Amino acid sequence: MMVSRSAKPVVLYLTRELYVTFFLLIGVSLVVFAVLYSAPGDPLAAVFGGQVLSDAQREEMMRNLGISNTWYGQYWSWLVKLFNGDFGTSLRSGQPVLGEVTKLAKNTFYLTFGAMFFSLMIALPIAIYLAKRGTDRLGWVLMMFAYTTSAVPLFWSAYIVIYIYTRFFNTLPIGLATGESMNFTQMMLPVFMLGLGSGIISETVRFLRDEISRVFSEDYVRTARAKGVSVWKHALTEALIIPVSEMIASKIPFVIGGAIIVEQIFNWPGIGRMAWQAAQDRDYPVIMCITLVTALIVRLTSLLQKTLYVIVNPRASQETKTS
Amino acid sequence: MTQYAQTQTTVSEYSELSILQRTDKRDIAYVVYGIVILLMVVCAYLMAIFGWLPHDPEEMQLELMLAGPGAPGHLLGTDFMGRDTLPRLILVIKAYFVPGLMYIAVAILLGGIFGILSGYYGNKYETVVTYITNIIDSFPRLILMLLVVAAFKPDIYYIMMVLGVTNAPLVSQLIKGKISMLRQKNFVESAIALGIPDARIIFKHILWFNCRSYLIIQATLGMGEAILLESALSYLGFGVQEPTPSWGNMVQQGANYLLQGQLWSSTIPAMAIMFTVLGFYLLGDGLNNMLEGKRQS
Amino acid sequence: MNNSPLLKIEELRTYFYSRTKQAFIRSVDGVDLEVNKGDTLGIVGESGSGKSVSMLSIMGLIAARPGIITGQVWYQQEQARINLLAGLQDHVQVSKNDGRIMSVEKTDLAWQRRLEKNMLGIRGKEIAMIFQNPKSAMNPFFTIGHQIVENITRHTQYKSRKEAKERALYWLERVKIDSPQLRFYNYPYGLSGGMCQRAMIATALSSEAKLLIADEPTTGLDATIQARIADLLEELRAQTGVTIVLISHDMGVIGRLSNKIAVMYGGRVMESGPAQAVIDHADGKSHPYTEALLKSIPREDNMSSQGHLNSIDGEVLDTINVPRGCRFASRCQRINKSIEKMCLNEEPPLATVSDGHKIRCWHFAGV
Repeated sequence: MMVSRSAKPVVLYLTRELYVTFFLLIGVSLVVFAVLYSAPGDPLAAVFGGQVLSDAQREEMMRNLGISNTWYGQYWSWLVKLFNGDFGTSLRSGQPVLGEVTKLAKNTFYLTFGAMFFSLMIALPIAIYLAKRGTDRLGWVLMMFAYTTSAVPLFWSAYIVIYIYTRFFNTLPIGLATGESMNFTQMMLPVFMLGLGSGIISETVRFLRDEISRVFSEDYVRTARAKGVSVWKHALTEALIIPVSEMIASKIPFVIGGAIIVEQIFNWPGIGRMAWQAAQDRDYPVIMCITLVTALIVRLTSLLQKTLYVIVNPRASQETKTS
Repeated sequence: MTQYAQTQTTVSEYSELSILQRTDKRDIAYVVYGIVILLMVVCAYLMAIFGWLPHDPEEMQLELMLAGPGAPGHLLGTDFMGRDTLPRLILVIKAYFVPGLMYIAVAILLGGIFGILSGYYGNKYETVVTYITNIIDSFPRLILMLLVVAAFKPDIYYIMMVLGVTNAPLVSQLIKGKISMLRQKNFVESAIALGIPDARIIFKHILWFNCRSYLIIQATLGMGEAILLESALSYLGFGVQEPTPSWGNMVQQGANYLLQGQLWSSTIPAMAIMFTVLGFYLLGDGLNNMLEGKRQS
Repeated sequence: MNNSPLLKIEELRTYFYSRTKQAFIRSVDGVDLEVNKGDTLGIVGESGSGKSVSMLSIMGLIAARPGIITGQVWYQQEQARINLLAGLQDHVQVSKNDGRIMSVEKTDLAWQRRLEKNMLGIRGKEIAMIFQNPKSAMNPFFTIGHQIVENITRHTQYKSRKEAKERALYWLERVKIDSPQLRFYNYPYGLSGGMCQRAMIATALSSEAKLLIADEPTTGLDATIQARIADLLEELRAQTGVTIVLISHDMGVIGRLSNKIAVMYGGRVMESGPAQAVIDHADGKSHPYTEALLKSIPREDNMSSQGHLNSIDGEVLDTINVPRGCRFASRCQRINKSIEKMCLNEEPPLATVSDGHKIRCWHFAGV
């Protein structure tokens, strides 16, 4: 219930977070730049103007583009280029990278967040069960299941699922990229596999279980019980909304990582598959762009989580003021 | 009806009970399982370096390709070239050993520096460390690895280096949390007041006396992660390269034949991964519970 | 109009099972108490004496598991007299000799479910409770107003938002919170401890409960605020006629507010009776433990010759290995040769020494 709460600290908090996000993204770009700058084979030159074959060619190209020789000069030119939306052209297809990546990023977005949803759908009931009942026999089985999902190589279990699927339906559940129409199960299978196999379930279960049992032993939850009102209503914010959103924000990189594999196996046209292709072809502009875009997604998710946190937690803005 | 009953003969004082008596039996079972797995890994390593293999890992038997477990002469079956699976599974440990150690060393070294800077030296460094760890956390691990692989070369050492760096924030957080807990108990302050030099407080009193169990737990959990990640990269073609066998590339090669119904040659190494990783997870978790339980009392 | 007590506790036992020690911790071990309508019963004892746990048991709020409660708690409603712990004894095995719990079911699920069913319509509506550390006992994610309104719409006839809000403001005024209109929209973090405790009292009373259990309501507050909260409770009791059970380790607060007092030690009631009899020894009889407690109140005449405050020697009772004899025997000052054997080997009964005044001590058992 956010009745007539002064909006000012919230705005202040979010402005601060926005600044932080901005500086983090600068840091992210520095890391990517450092990798490109220090690598052999002129990846940086590839980003600036396409493949070069010799040092002399490179020198000439840089001179023509008016880019200085110092690393900070190159970084600056590179950053300006990025801010203009120019991530270079793909060495493979010759197309501007950003357009291609954003086109496919949508598919990866559906896959990752769908998988995240599935993971939570599996992890949440287990966590609640373990928190409420402790590790009894069923709880132990559930816990072991959660661990096992994180211990099996994702691509192997995906292969097994595909194998079983083909046995039953006599058709492959793959081929979105080939433009064939797919039915619902075929669409859902990759999402489900990623949700199950990205390895975040066991950690999510443990984290949520601990949070839920901690919150349920809080004094204010006992007060709610003493009042005879709904306990879950009182515990909801701290036991579920905050930890779940934290979990989503901190685990999204892992799911994106898993998406590379799932996209590969199921022929899902996303940036994960594209990144793999680019890494094989040494298509520097593409892999650079994808790294930056995924880091951006991670930071934005984190920003969203912070926003949600400050909205549901009236103390949050207070905390930052004192710290 | 299962019941809790007073089995009271003489109940000794809590503090007199040993760790084993105090902890949940389940945690003990986890740790025992984990230690068994760990011992098997060590055995396999020794077998691999001394060459005590049950079968020649390179010998191809083309008439016995993709055999299931229990095929004549091959306890765990053969791969797509008719090579025996078991000695190859064992040989893998050798290939994992040095990269794995390097990854853990990088993670603990970097994480340790971050953790001590932010936890021990406080405010001034804390912002910087938080900033750096946040940047590291922004990258999906696998994407960052692909970037490094593309820019440099597909080499397991580069990959383990990246893994080490990306795991450093976690280690740093653990150490920092531990230090702030010690600070709350005025442990650090009193040590400083006693005139003990910083280096000694950090290395002996904080890291050795108070963090070593955490670091061991982190290392075991990390080993599991490294094995899984290697298998993922093997699938993508950037893991340990043939002809050196790795569990990842064994599963990957087997998987090529999986859709044709040849399940075994990928399932056996996949099971090896599963049981080993599970062992590491359970060992880490069980140890954690046991040690945490000790702290609570 | 009947004269049966509002709350009658018989043989209440709350045990916790310690897995590591494979034994029961007998936090509350056979408590008998009566609370009449309009009374203020003060329960006093050291920490670990089971005073809080016994009252939490009545409300079914025992959090640590596996914990188990048996006994009877008779609560007098308008018409009927109900047992709040009905059916719970089916899940335990009790010793025939002394009534202590011998074993319990391993899964407490059925037991918990039964308890929740019993408590339906009792918690909040009939019996309200306030706790110590009000700042952590109020939900930090809801406004004060919301937490009161929620209680009102749930338990009283004021169902609409507007009515409930008016009613909430009325209660905030009753507990003397300044500018209730403003505080209504405040979150607990913005309020002081004393203010929070007032808000919690308002919340508890807003459901118009007949019985208010106050679990150390003044602990953790400043001394001046403690006094004001105590005054407020006394005033509200006088105005609304609510029955109060006050738990405290502070003899001062207990003596000030209650007209009946029960002294607990090691999960047992050691002495109970009217305040004059227990504190002022109106009948000249008292339990050695009560005496020791009274002597440890920080007052000038309680200082020892060296100028130290008196304290009770010895350790708090081990509630797993409960001694066979009197629970206080090991620390008792009044133990002497003539009754030592009795004190160490058999637990004394709760003997009536004068009108309503009961003492559990071999000194008085023979009278």
